[in-house]
Amino acid sequence: MNGKTVIDAHNISKVYNRETIPVYAVNNVHVHLERGEFTALVGPSGSGKTTLLNLIGGLDRADSGEILVNGIDITKLSGSKLIDFRLHNIGFVFQSFNLIPVLTARENVELIMHLQRMPRAARDQRVKQLFDEIQLSDKLNSRPAELSGGQQQRVAVARALASKPQFVLADEPTANLDSKSAANLLDIMLRLNQEEQITFLFSTHDQRVIERARRVITLVDGKITSDTAPVKVTST
Amino acid sequence: MTMLMRMAWRNIWRNKGRSLVIMASIALGLMAGISILALYKGMIHAKVRTVIDRESGHIQLHHPHFRDDQHPAYTIADTLALNQIRQQPGVQAAAARVVTAGMLTTTSGSAGVNIYGIDPADEQAISKLDKKIREGSYFDTQTRHPIVIGKKLADKMKLKLKSKVVLTFVDTANTMVAAAFRVVAIYESDNAPFDERTVYLLRAQLSGLLSTGRQIHELAVILHRDEELDATASAFSAMFPDLRVETWKEISPETDLMVSTTDQYSYIILVIIMLALAFGIVNTMLMAILERTREIGMLVALGMNKLRLFLLILYETIFLTLLGSPVALICSFLLIRYFNRHGLDLSGFGQEMMKQFGFQNLVYPEFPWDKLAGLVMIVAATAILSGLLPALRALNLKPTEALRK
Ligand SMILES: Nc1ncnc2c1ncn2[C@@H]1O[C@H](COP(=O)(O)OP(=O)(O)O)[C@@H](O)[C@H]1O
Ligand SMILES: [Mg+2]
Repeated sequence: MNGKTVIDAHNISKVYNRETIPVYAVNNVHVHLERGEFTALVGPSGSGKTTLLNLIGGLDRADSGEILVNGIDITKLSGSKLIDFRLHNIGFVFQSFNLIPVLTARENVELIMHLQRMPRAARDQRVKQLFDEIQLSDKLNSRPAELSGGQQQRVAVARALASKPQFVLADEPTANLDSKSAANLLDIMLRLNQEEQITFLFSTHDQRVIERARRVITLVDGKITSDTAPVKVTST
Repeated sequence: MTMLMRMAWRNIWRNKGRSLVIMASIALGLMAGISILALYKGMIHAKVRTVIDRESGHIQLHHPHFRDDQHPAYTIADTLALNQIRQQPGVQAAAARVVTAGMLTTTSGSAGVNIYGIDPADEQAISKLDKKIREGSYFDTQTRHPIVIGKKLADKMKLKLKSKVVLTFVDTANTMVAAAFRVVAIYESDNAPFDERTVYLLRAQLSGLLSTGRQIHELAVILHRDEELDATASAFSAMFPDLRVETWKEISPETDLMVSTTDQYSYIILVIIMLALAFGIVNTMLMAILERTREIGMLVALGMNKLRLFLLILYETIFLTLLGSPVALICSFLLIRYFNRHGLDLSGFGQEMMKQFGFQNLVYPEFPWDKLAGLVMIVAATAILSGLLPALRALNLKPTEALRK
């Protein structure tokens, strides 16, 4: 399975405030991602991590460059096609307040499958499987407010996987978690990556998270400055 | 229930207080609207009943020229027509009248009046004049030349029981005739202008003065059932090709017009009430969307398309608008039923004004079943229209910007 390209983005740029003081949030960046990768996007605050993830996820329009997802150039898709493309191909986990508060954990995950018009039996089976994987089978009917931050992020991961996407984009998924919850979330993501070959691209500036990635892309001022295996920092 | 409906339903309860206030105001507005419709319906119904049962009857027959030019020579042969009409199926009562226009003069002044020569017994079944007598007795036989006048005229001309008046008019030969009468009774109907210009004499006396003999001018007919109006009118037209046959709608076109225009007014009032409420609904929904900017951005990011987002907001608006409606319907139904039984006294709004327009002070509102479909449509349209602006606002949110909130 490995070796198949899922993301191939060339020369992508995003400029804000073009009329006044231009901010090159993403500056002529190339990203190549293969199936089964577990890659961290790191860099200081304001370096362009969120912007890059939004471009790759088709949430925002690049000012230049092309972004091929499974061979399809998403920069050429119309607004409604892009929404549909996201629904079927990309899983998202955001930093916080990921879940719809009026829906239970189960409904949050099912929502995606409803939008995909998945039949009920398939939905039920997938919900069961996903909640087993995130180890929250006992919280199916809890509302987000009744879950801890770590539990909410795990449900968000399950929701991102509900549509069986090509890859999952996670923007600082552990930023609001204590270290134990963060480690737990990483365990689950890693296991999904190893056992199910789920492709993850996540941004972070948490050293303990960076250590567990298999590839680290560093972004500074909208440019990629390094793209390597993680550097283990041992306490001195 | 679809996922979207479930979300919409739960969303409206996120801010319970705000939603309840909106629902309550919609319910109150709807109740006000329905009550106005019911009041109108009751008033119009009473007005139509007054016209039919106490003024003109269902159908009248005249000489073809009489209604255009009230000359006493345009007559109908009494015995012939009256007896034939009374034998018609569906006819409850019929009365013959001699009618002319003239001048009523007293020591203090004069006034133009319509003079009706009637058979007191027959008239009881048509205009129920005996029931309207406020003072005196209905054509008592002691007085030789009795006249019954309306209260409004009596007040204006300062007439009392036993006052003497002189009537002047022209007879069939265009000769001026004047005769003196004594007030034996003063009547009062719900229609003050009518009371001011209508006086009653005995038919034989007026016929004598006009020299119309046994001829009459007007035949008024009351039917057993309103539904037979048009059929009976056509039957009469066929029976009496030489006479003009008219229904109450033609005799009192202003009443017929009132029936149709109040329907339009009712809808206009409803639409105005709903427009006012729409402002509240739109505001509430805009506020709700503002509060949920991030959440909506996330839904779009996850792949909720514009149609579904539009439906979600529309469902929310519709739930918000329609939830109060059943309560409003039930409450107004009960309210209307109460006042339908006990009557609603509107004399507080000015007894004189109501009479001036020919309405009774005691109104019996009727639940506007006939307008229920229109009502539901207006409320539904309000819900949908109020949802459009907030839905468009939501559709215009950019997911990346919304997510940064
Ligand atoms: N909507 C925007 N308008 C203007 N500038 C923006 C906007 N979004 C991001 N930026 C700028 O782009 C740069 C990259 O931001 P971002 O992608 O959020 O960085 P990171 O996620 O690494 O913190 C920052 O300088 C930020 O101020
Ligand atoms: Mg960021």
